[in-house]
Amino acid sequence: MRRRAVLLSAVILATLAPLAPLAPVVPGCAAAGSAHAALVVEHGDGSVVTRCVAFNAGAISGEELLNESGVAWSSQTFGGFGGAVCALDGEPAHYVDCPGKDSYWAVFVARGGGPWQLASVGISTMTLNDGDAEGFRYVPDAGTPAAPVLPSGVCPTEATPTSRSVAAKTATARPIAGATPTLLATNPSAAATATGSPAASTPTATASAAADVVATATIALSPPPSAPNRTPSGGADPGLILAVGVGSGLAGLAILRLALARRPGP
Amino acid sequence: MTTGRGPSSGDAASHSPYVVGAPALPLRVPLAPRAWLAWSLAAVTIALVTDNPVYRGLVALAALNVLLAWLPPRRRLRPLAVAVAFSAALAALINLLASHTGADVLIRLPDGLPLVGGPLTLESLAFGGALGLGLVAALLSVAPLSLVLEPHDVVDAMPASLERTGIAVATSLNLVSGFGRTFTEVRDAQRMRGWKAGGLRSWNEVLVPTLLTAIEDSVLLAEAMEARAFGAGRRTSYVASGFGRRETIVVAAALAAAVAFVGLRVAGAPMDWYPYPTLSLPPIQPLAVAGCLGLALPAFLPPAFTRIAPPGRPE
Repeated sequence: MRRRAVLLSAVILATLAPLAPLAPVVPGCAAAGSAHAALVVEHGDGSVVTRCVAFNAGAISGEELLNESGVAWSSQTFGGFGGAVCALDGEPAHYVDCPGKDSYWAVFVARGGGPWQLASVGISTMTLNDGDAEGFRYVPDAGTPAAPVLPSGVCPTEATPTSRSVAAKTATARPIAGATPTLLATNPSAAATATGSPAASTPTATASAAADVVATATIALSPPPSAPNRTPSGGADPGLILAVGVGSGLAGLAILRLALARRPGP
Repeated sequence: MTTGRGPSSGDAASHSPYVVGAPALPLRVPLAPRAWLAWSLAAVTIALVTDNPVYRGLVALAALNVLLAWLPPRRRLRPLAVAVAFSAALAALINLLASHTGADVLIRLPDGLPLVGGPLTLESLAFGGALGLGLVAALLSVAPLSLVLEPHDVVDAMPASLERTGIAVATSLNLVSGFGRTFTEVRDAQRMRGWKAGGLRSWNEVLVPTLLTAIEDSVLLAEAMEARAFGAGRRTSYVASGFGRRETIVVAAALAAAVAFVGLRVAGAPMDWYPYPTLSLPPIQPLAVAGCLGLALPAFLPPAFTRIAPPGRPE
């Protein structure tokens, strides 16, 4: 009997062994890879946390990027609507309603170094390729949310990962008016503390940064980005133009056919 | 030139070109039923694989154009249009009243109202509209199977392995309406004999005769089908529906559109639309729009005509 149980366990282990690489990645431990995607989190008080996550797959989901970045977050699922980000990097510290009634985390995406666009899908559905960025901004629940700071410079323009460096973390704080740009810190943990975001300075995140991360932590005291850069792009989408053209043509043709069908015959 | 059986001569402009005894008028050659089946499957797949309202709207418009181009004169679109509009409006209304998420509040109902109490938002109205548009696109996509084709065409379009099952399901569905008719007749007959609806027990006098009549009808139908050699082999047809170049083009365009949509989704392209918490324009892929245009291809096919051979002169 015992021999049969041992045999059965061996069979089960052998069956499950190939699935081991599919196990979820522990948050904070970014996987090595040649592609990069940036994460920008702008808090309600203006402080900003940025991360660059490297990955090997062709694309990464917004949810995976958050997990890989090590930034603490929580969500709530709304059935078929997917999940909503309730708290991110410790903001709000406590919540009852999700999304919050007064403020919420607005989600943005930037493709290939382009400007921010309001995400039209949830983070679990959103896919990010090399050079893309995922942005969050804690905004009041009124009107169109403003975009976070641009993700330029968060990830290296050329993929330069070393054998151990798999993610570059850049923590920046919102500038003080009139201050002169000065490099204040090169230590990721110090930079994380400077952002005032407790979740980013957890022991796990710091240990991960020390072991696996090429840190370019700075407190960027540069002037704030100009207003036009912070708004979603207003450029005409070629897909939208094509869709409007095709839709108008089909609708016009249908109306014409209906009108001809109603006309009495000779 | 082909002779064959078909609708009566007064139906010369219908979808069937084969009319015995009809004058030698040119008649539009219909698309093969299997081409319609493949087109409908592709269109429904696209309508259901995405919840982007732009794609759903384009599929609905393409299907509407195809229906208008191929609808036989004796068939009417109005009942379908009413059903489709009602379904779409109901979906939008339910989502507006039940979902209270979204940044742009239109009106606010008292919180004390069960389910509908709270803010009614522009975003929930838009998402409900997208759901309704999906229903419209799906219903219009399958409409040619009932409005353009005859029931026996649909049965013929099924794969050989499903043919007997299809016939059995079709005849079973016919029995449902027959059961309703029998129920009405028996109830009216019992009323004429002084029966009045009371408690559950009183309905025995209607339900038992209805059930017995339904069983008798089923036995009669089974005997009639057996007498016509049901199950003896593959169904034969006096006129074989050809699968020519037009059918090949239609099926290829429809399948290419469906493959493009599924491929884009598998490749990770943003195919869905989520209006919460703030309304935004749906993401649009030009390839997907081109696929929707390909679905409208049957509406632009140049009509092919045939002439009816005079009766008594077989070829």
